[in-house]
Amino acid sequence: MKNHSLWRDAFGRLFQDKWAVASFIIVIAYSLVAILSAMGLIAYDWAREVGGSNLPPSAEHYFGTDIFGRDVLSKVIRGTQIAMSVGLATSLIAIPIGVILGAFAGYFGGWVDDLITWLYTTFSSIPNIMLLISITMILGKGLFAVYVALGATSWVNLCRLIRGEVMKHKEREYVQAAGAIGGGHFRKLFKHILPNVTHIIIINTSLQFQIAIKSEVILSYLGLGVQGEPSWGTMIDDAKLELSRGVWWQLAGATLAMFVIVLAFNLLGDALRDSLDPKLKGK
Amino acid sequence: MKFLSILLCALIFSGCSKERNFDERELHLISLEKFAGFDPIQVSDRYSGNETGKVYEGLFEFHPFKRPYILVPNLAESLPTVSADGLVYTFKLKKGVVFHDSPCFKDGKGRELRADDVLYSIRRLADPKLQAKGWWLIDDKISGLNEWRTKYASLDHSNYEEAIDGLKKIDELTVQITLKKPFPQFLYALAMPYTFIVPKEAVDHFGKEFLNHPVGTGPFILEKFEQSNEIVYHKNPTFREKFYPTEGAEGDDKLGLLADAGKRLPLVDKITVHIMPESQTQWLSFQKGKADLLELKSMYERAVDKSKELHQELKSKGIRLFMDPMLDVTFYAFNHENPFFKNRKVRQAISLAYNRAENNKLFYNNSALEAQGVIPPGLGGYRKEFKNPYTKFDIDQAKRLLREAGYPDGKGFPEITIETRSETSARQSIEYFAKCMEKIGIVVKAGINTWPELVKKVSTKQHQMYTMAWGADYPDAENFLGLVYCPNQSPGSNGANYCNPDFDALFKQATILQDSPERSAFYEKMNEMVSLDVPWVFGFHRTEFYVAQAWLKNFKQMEFNHTQFQYLGVDLEVKKELSKKF
Repeated sequence: MKNHSLWRDAFGRLFQDKWAVASFIIVIAYSLVAILSAMGLIAYDWAREVGGSNLPPSAEHYFGTDIFGRDVLSKVIRGTQIAMSVGLATSLIAIPIGVILGAFAGYFGGWVDDLITWLYTTFSSIPNIMLLISITMILGKGLFAVYVALGATSWVNLCRLIRGEVMKHKEREYVQAAGAIGGGHFRKLFKHILPNVTHIIIINTSLQFQIAIKSEVILSYLGLGVQGEPSWGTMIDDAKLELSRGVWWQLAGATLAMFVIVLAFNLLGDALRDSLDPKLKGK
Repeated sequence: MKFLSILLCALIFSGCSKERNFDERELHLISLEKFAGFDPIQVSDRYSGNETGKVYEGLFEFHPFKRPYILVPNLAESLPTVSADGLVYTFKLKKGVVFHDSPCFKDGKGRELRADDVLYSIRRLADPKLQAKGWWLIDDKISGLNEWRTKYASLDHSNYEEAIDGLKKIDELTVQITLKKPFPQFLYALAMPYTFIVPKEAVDHFGKEFLNHPVGTGPFILEKFEQSNEIVYHKNPTFREKFYPTEGAEGDDKLGLLADAGKRLPLVDKITVHIMPESQTQWLSFQKGKADLLELKSMYERAVDKSKELHQELKSKGIRLFMDPMLDVTFYAFNHENPFFKNRKVRQAISLAYNRAENNKLFYNNSALEAQGVIPPGLGGYRKEFKNPYTKFDIDQAKRLLREAGYPDGKGFPEITIETRSETSARQSIEYFAKCMEKIGIVVKAGINTWPELVKKVSTKQHQMYTMAWGADYPDAENFLGLVYCPNQSPGSNGANYCNPDFDALFKQATILQDSPERSAFYEKMNEMVSLDVPWVFGFHRTEFYVAQAWLKNFKQMEFNHTQFQYLGVDLEVKKELSKKF
């Protein structure tokens, strides 16, 4: 008899959903574009003047050119690199913070829980965009500040979820059993409980990723984000002045790129929840 | 349901009837910026000046039509008598000028304007407790005033009763102001919003709410003030007898600007100012005929075609286009305290590598004038024939100069950050500047700041370079030459911290001269001398565009336009006729 693991089961369900598969492919494609661009293989010469100012889309330049005659497609690709890197960096910062704090709060309870709950309620009571702006003010503007700012503000949700889940699990029999055979706190927490809440982390990451991308766009639009590099946000900001001249392609390019990836992450997040959450199993 | 449809009908028709009111002479204007409130001493930008100027008045104003700008008495009876040494100014006030009716006065009736009000308003500008934005204007100018300010800076209340040397009341309608040193621009200062006359009663009565309850002598009374929506004024019924001018500049007669000559002001009964910071909304509401006048900024291309003519569709509605060069200059200033910029050849190289013609095309629709020096056209001291050899576009020479300066192809030259505001156009123009500098191997980055951040960086000398536009406060080149005068360096207006002893010596001599051809010649010499030293990378003198509806009468572009609105009129016949087309 062959035993299907939980994960295999879940992914089996996931791949039956054709929207989820499409979303997954899109995410992979964006990641590839971002990696290629980061390696300098594509869109490395986005700053080069390739034609006249504000040329409409044509066979030569699929997305037209911007005010300085730069290829908008290259800028969109470069923007993809930045957006994906922000999503990734933010997740890398936010997930460990959220998971560790959430797990500690949920497992130990008492004053640890009080402290961490106080910390995240305080954090979440500050309007996010204000916090982002103040962090970028302190760190100076640029990509690094965006990573840190978004990372530091987006762990709250995950932390709260993990805390609740850990609280539930720590009273379960398997944890008690682990304790009975002499497992310490850390062993119980990391070896036994955490693997059982991983699905929350995965679902959350997928949703977090697109929030980070959107936030980066907003920050760049406000002039607080990436400096001197094309970002979807700055492209949309440029479009503010261009639209009156009938130049719509920069706005269209950036918005489309953002729309597709945000939608893909959302669909993927939903599908992941459907397939990973044991409560929804068999639905 | 029936009730709902009646309600709907009522809504629809009330909307329409408002549109169809052609009996009231009402102006609809658009303000491009939000407005903080009516306190003259805090009014530092043009849009705030426009609102304040409807309610308050100063001793003088600029003639609405004559050019070059000349001062004419407003609340003053005539131009003042000035002592031979140019220090003592004696002003006579007009008789029978009354403040708006307001609960701050006894019985609610506006009282007559007195000499004390003038002195009070100037003291308010100097009051250390109020942190007036316009203090610089009279800083170190009036005898005894700085001492008064310093004395009360650390005390709880400023004593307005204490005598000040330079501010004297001769009789109820005569004021004498004594200056510390000659300052020929002093009268211009008395035409600026900062020195508009406010009554003490209103300031005391309204306290912190004074901002929202202006009580002036002006042609209009504030009726409604919604900071981010609209401001409504109606005609001041107790406004003194003031008449539309009978003279203007050459050709004004033909333009019909003098048709209302001799009529009593103001010409309209009501003004509604719509606050619309978004250019798209501004444009749409003008296009629908809901606004009479609009300053065209980023919507320029919606209105004007390549040959600088209005689009046919707009012309057919009788809309007119106005364009006039502004009294301003844009620049990229070096911080001269930075050792790299001490080398003149570096500055010249950077200036030569900047392609102004292309920039003009990209950002100003080719409508701006390339600046050759500090002084804009329209002011004494500007010479049309003067061409600065370092404002042309010459990459080869730029490279040569940079090599001679010791940085061949930019090697060894640090990355430069140019500080600017966060607006889209500001960022883009630095991107363009950076593109130009790339050609000579200099790396430029944009430092994006909010306005207060930018001001702070520049005034604490934390910048390498910054870019800004300077608009005239008054029509005197001194206002521009002061930008490169050493004693004005940060936190003063010389944010470039540029120092040139020869220039400074000339500046000291020139600025005490009264307006005269000699002074203009002096200014010319100074302008050309300093321009060749390239204290900044000179940018442009920009052009300002307005579109006006056919029914708006007497509009003429004006740099110092806060008193302009009383002269504007509405031709109701034309409006009625044309409204079918909208």
